[in-house]
Amino acid sequence: MVPVEWYLLLAAAVFCIGLFGILTRSNALLFLMSVELMLNAANINLVAFSAYWGNVTGQTFGLFTMALAAAEVAVGIGIILVLYRNFDDVDVTLAKGMRR
Amino acid sequence: MPLQTQLPTWTAIAPTVLLGLTALVLLLVDSVDPDSTRPTALAAVSVGGSVATLAVAGWYLLAGTGQVGGAIRLYGGSLVIDGLSLFFTVIVASVVAMVSLASHDYLQDRTYQAEFYSLVLLAATGMSLMASAGSLATVFVSLELASLPSYALVAFLKKNRGSVEAGLKYFLVGAVSSGVLVFGISLVYAVTGSLLLSDVATAIGDAGDFVGVAGIGVVMIAGGFAFKTASVPFHFWAPEAYEGAPAPISAFLSSASKAAGFAVAFRVFAVAFPLDAVVPMGIDWPLLFAVLAVVTMTLGNFAAATQENVKRMLAYSSVGHAGYALIGLAALSGGGPNGDVMGASMAHLLVYGFMNTGAFLFIAMVERWGLGRTFEDYNGLATRAPVACLAMTVFMFSLAGLPPFGGFLSKYALFYGAIQGGFWWLAAVGAINSALSLFYYSRVVRAMWIEDPVDGDGVDLGATPLGLYVAVLIAAVGTLALLPAFGPVVETAQSAATALFA
Repeated sequence: MVPVEWYLLLAAAVFCIGLFGILTRSNALLFLMSVELMLNAANINLVAFSAYWGNVTGQTFGLFTMALAAAEVAVGIGIILVLYRNFDDVDVTLAKGMRR
Repeated sequence: MPLQTQLPTWTAIAPTVLLGLTALVLLLVDSVDPDSTRPTALAAVSVGGSVATLAVAGWYLLAGTGQVGGAIRLYGGSLVIDGLSLFFTVIVASVVAMVSLASHDYLQDRTYQAEFYSLVLLAATGMSLMASAGSLATVFVSLELASLPSYALVAFLKKNRGSVEAGLKYFLVGAVSSGVLVFGISLVYAVTGSLLLSDVATAIGDAGDFVGVAGIGVVMIAGGFAFKTASVPFHFWAPEAYEGAPAPISAFLSSASKAAGFAVAFRVFAVAFPLDAVVPMGIDWPLLFAVLAVVTMTLGNFAAATQENVKRMLAYSSVGHAGYALIGLAALSGGGPNGDVMGASMAHLLVYGFMNTGAFLFIAMVERWGLGRTFEDYNGLATRAPVACLAMTVFMFSLAGLPPFGGFLSKYALFYGAIQGGFWWLAAVGAINSALSLFYYSRVVRAMWIEDPVDGDGVDLGATPLGLYVAVLIAAVGTLALLPAFGPVVETAQSAATALFA
């Protein structure tokens, strides 16, 4: 049996990889993937500690998180699509017309 | 005896259900008759649904549902109906009613009107659920229900580069902050083994070796709420999103969405992380919020003072007001009556709901007239539209907190509560910021009433947008009526907040 603290470390590592991706990438699609990593890091915690505590609350909430992540990507892809139509690229750094 | 004791308990959720049903009815109306655009019917359904919600929530609030005899818990405690949830449902429903009324004119000759209204109503359903969330799972789901339609609404003008850019920035920051929030929730679950707020409260005291994990979890949850309330460190989406979004949506997000963010933050922090259990462990969240409050109000007000664009100025002022409302979470644990300062913050959010919605709707009217966006473009507007400018003057002075308006009393109650709690320095920073804010709010008033118009008066403003006019006037009347009505409002809010700490 793997000690439960190791799962915390794994989840923190995955979360940090996602955060690093968000801070360094300018492609909107890579950005979305990084957000997915952050959300799934939380899922690792939820499932691991669901087994540790012996209740299914965490697992159930993990399913909720996956569904919401999918919904978020659906809206996100829509916005990225209109971004592409207006700016001919999916580079998030291009859209800065309002900053003066 | 409260009237609702004769109703089944599930009816307590009726205001939220009404908002959701209205959204579905709007889609139904649109699918029955998709080709002919009937803007008036859609706006009427939307306004009718939100006014009905407002009536039911107000009736419950007055009759004591969930207040007399304890909160009503549904679905095993995942939803809690009490004074706090009803109070914030009232705020959200009033803002939605004004915004829908105004959108009737704003959306003239645009497509996808039914979708626009139903997205607004769906987001409002999420906001009302946020106020009643009794478990961290409901918190996350309702927060996403409020956020996802908002992203789409900000990017609603899909051929307008500003709107798309605003929607993109709002979405990117929102996606990151929801990732942060859910990771925080997972850490709190790791420590406590439960997502129900009341169970978390009892279990978090025994964190033992995991106290560091619990602390990181609490800070990350605070970060997720900072996004919704447009506070530092997740505030930088606000100026872009509010400036680029259609003006009624800016009004909706900066008033209702901010209030809902505070509703969920008040409940989660007061109930799940009780002060006497977590502060001795070193998780001093009131201190965190005190720092955030000072930084948020100072940053918001200084940035607002340097703007040339009126809409962007209002956006930064909205960040500043988030800082004032954060005092309700910061000035705790000083031994004073905690419910009083949190209640004052709730009352401030209600007054803010009227005055800020009104101000953004006035901008919507100016956009509709085709005038520019800077202060100079407002020069001499009072000679052409005196009634609307009078209403805007009320909003500006009320936002600044000048005495004869609703905003004065709510700020006074907030700062007084902070002093009572022993946080005189928070009140002092707030008062200095309020004085500074008078500078940029009065610039709008001076431009409208004193400056001469650049291009000479006599330029025709076109047809009067009736719905927008009425919505702005309702907001102005609300801002003024909250002056005599402030006593009962703040008492209701304070007893609702006190019940949280009990």
